[in-house]
Amino acid sequence: MNRPFRELSVAAALLLVLAALAVFAPSFYQPQPLLSLLTREAPTLLVAGGMALVIITRQIDISVGSQFAVCSVAAGLLATRMPPALALAASVGLGAALGAVNGLLVAGLKLPSIVVTLATMVTWREALRWQQQGAFVNLPDGLQWFGLGQLPGQWTLIAVALAVFVALGLATRHLAAGRHLYAVGSDAEAARLAGLRPERVTFGVFVFLGALTGLAALLNVVQSPQVDPKSGTGLELKAIAAVVVGGVAISGGRGRLGGVFAGLLLLACIAPALTHLHVEAYWEKAIQGAIILLAVVADGVRSRKSGGQP
Amino acid sequence: MKTSLDQARKILLRHEAILLFVLMLEWLWFNSVGRNFGSLDNSYDILRHSVEIGLLALAMTPVILTGGIDLSVGSLLGLCAVLFGKFWRDAGLPISLAAVATLGVGVVAGGLNAALITGLRLPPLIVTLGTYSLFRGLAEAITRGVDTFTNFPASFLHLGQERSLGLPTQVWIFLLTAVAVWLLVHRTTLGRSFRAIGFAPDGARYAGLPVERRLALAYVLAGFIAALAAIIYTARLGQAKADAGTGYELFAITAVVLGGTSIFGGTGSVHGTLLGVAAIAVLNNGLVHARQPREVAGMLTGLLLVAALAAGTLSQWWRNRPKPAPPTSPAEPEQKQLA
Repeated sequence: MNRPFRELSVAAALLLVLAALAVFAPSFYQPQPLLSLLTREAPTLLVAGGMALVIITRQIDISVGSQFAVCSVAAGLLATRMPPALALAASVGLGAALGAVNGLLVAGLKLPSIVVTLATMVTWREALRWQQQGAFVNLPDGLQWFGLGQLPGQWTLIAVALAVFVALGLATRHLAAGRHLYAVGSDAEAARLAGLRPERVTFGVFVFLGALTGLAALLNVVQSPQVDPKSGTGLELKAIAAVVVGGVAISGGRGRLGGVFAGLLLLACIAPALTHLHVEAYWEKAIQGAIILLAVVADGVRSRKSGGQP
Repeated sequence: MKTSLDQARKILLRHEAILLFVLMLEWLWFNSVGRNFGSLDNSYDILRHSVEIGLLALAMTPVILTGGIDLSVGSLLGLCAVLFGKFWRDAGLPISLAAVATLGVGVVAGGLNAALITGLRLPPLIVTLGTYSLFRGLAEAITRGVDTFTNFPASFLHLGQERSLGLPTQVWIFLLTAVAVWLLVHRTTLGRSFRAIGFAPDGARYAGLPVERRLALAYVLAGFIAALAAIIYTARLGQAKADAGTGYELFAITAVVLGGTSIFGGTGSVHGTLLGVAAIAVLNNGLVHARQPREVAGMLTGLLLVAALAAGTLSQWWRNRPKPAPPTSPAEPEQKQLA
């Protein structure tokens, strides 16, 4: 099946929500709030893109929220001691290193990724809390918005996130390395017999997600003059929700980055839509969970009808 | 033929025996560094604080034996605690009826997991990740993030804060549950079928086991026990909030894996889980008495989980390593590999 039904249906749902907002809450469409919404979601887009690669390879990583917080705080602390550009690069490197820990445990020791990343999630988060004791990190002057001022800064952020995401999407369709993810995710043994090394692919994809999380942390850090050590809480659920809603099969080997993009925007519209439609914001998490369930149920029903394995 | 020496070595190298040894070392170490660690009061304290996580670990054991996982138990504890408060304070139900209704909620919530996992054959991981978010979100929505239920009657708080027959009251409920789950897993055909499903789901189906119904039972039981843990949690703290039990699923999974149950399903024991719970509870309490910050305990629990998982895999490699001279004894049964 090559036609992207699933992705198109998510895009249709997104258009429906946007149309409903246009009718019932036209105040949603003011340029400034919309721009800040997109700026806020730019880091999540990168994490969701990396998460999609991991899930296509039939793994999962729920430690990204903690990696995000560790990278944010590290970038902030380093920025006061070295040139900002170097500190920001270090954040990406640190993310890759944290991802490599997951990758080693999952690919090297063949441990289930869900439990490994559950453990690293808590370990990083508690280590950070121990080290910071909840203290915010003040950033040096000139780092906010890369020193560009708010409006150009916001556009730069969005452009960087979009460019990386589009590159990811193209790579998964057209590069050999991208196709290897699908091969390993569909059937690791068949991929091995075809000459791939599933362990290396798995290891690499965790490192890559870590690096993207570091980059996302960086895009988040420059948005405010301080770094919150609790940032990134719940990020893993947001990313996984976007990936699953976007039609990437949790059982691996299937899905497109375009669907993830639509899924993320759909989820991102929920919170502002709730406020504009005067529903209390406390429902956000419940609705997020319900949407994840709805997406997997839709996939389950569809694969049952077509007679395939879910 | 096995000599008695071989048998003795086998018993001593059993996972549970090693864990018991580690537990004793922990105890001795904290007893020497910590103040008042070994006192009777503190022992009661450890027991009291380990009941909820112990219950969740008991609930998790059959689920992991079937090769599944339930990430939603901590969130379900929060939802049940909030609903319990709601039933009692806002619906005006007597405590006993509110408790029964809460247990009913647990069964329904476990039933939701079970229906999605068995009815549509969805992976337990993603289903319970969805309900993990859903249950916690409902708890937050019901309380609007701020509402807290307090002022429970003293007769109810007795359950969580006083002693009966020489032990903290809730410990009796825990022991009763532990015995019931132990009997279920180790002495009934139901328990055997959990392990059969975890070892080879298709094999179990071909052998005529009603795989869907057995799986459903494991998840519904987990929901019921999580609701029970919610009631005890509320009684111990005297309040119910939406964030009750946050992160408890990690402790429960750690206890089960530390207790020697394979995360891939098929092998494991309830007494191992109990030892795992004890090891974690003693570690957490002991670190506090050794004047270590609270975060260290959380960090160590995460590291412990990875270490236990890695030890399991490495010991399996060691056992399956190519032998220099082919022995005459029959080969070790092939262990289940990562799916």
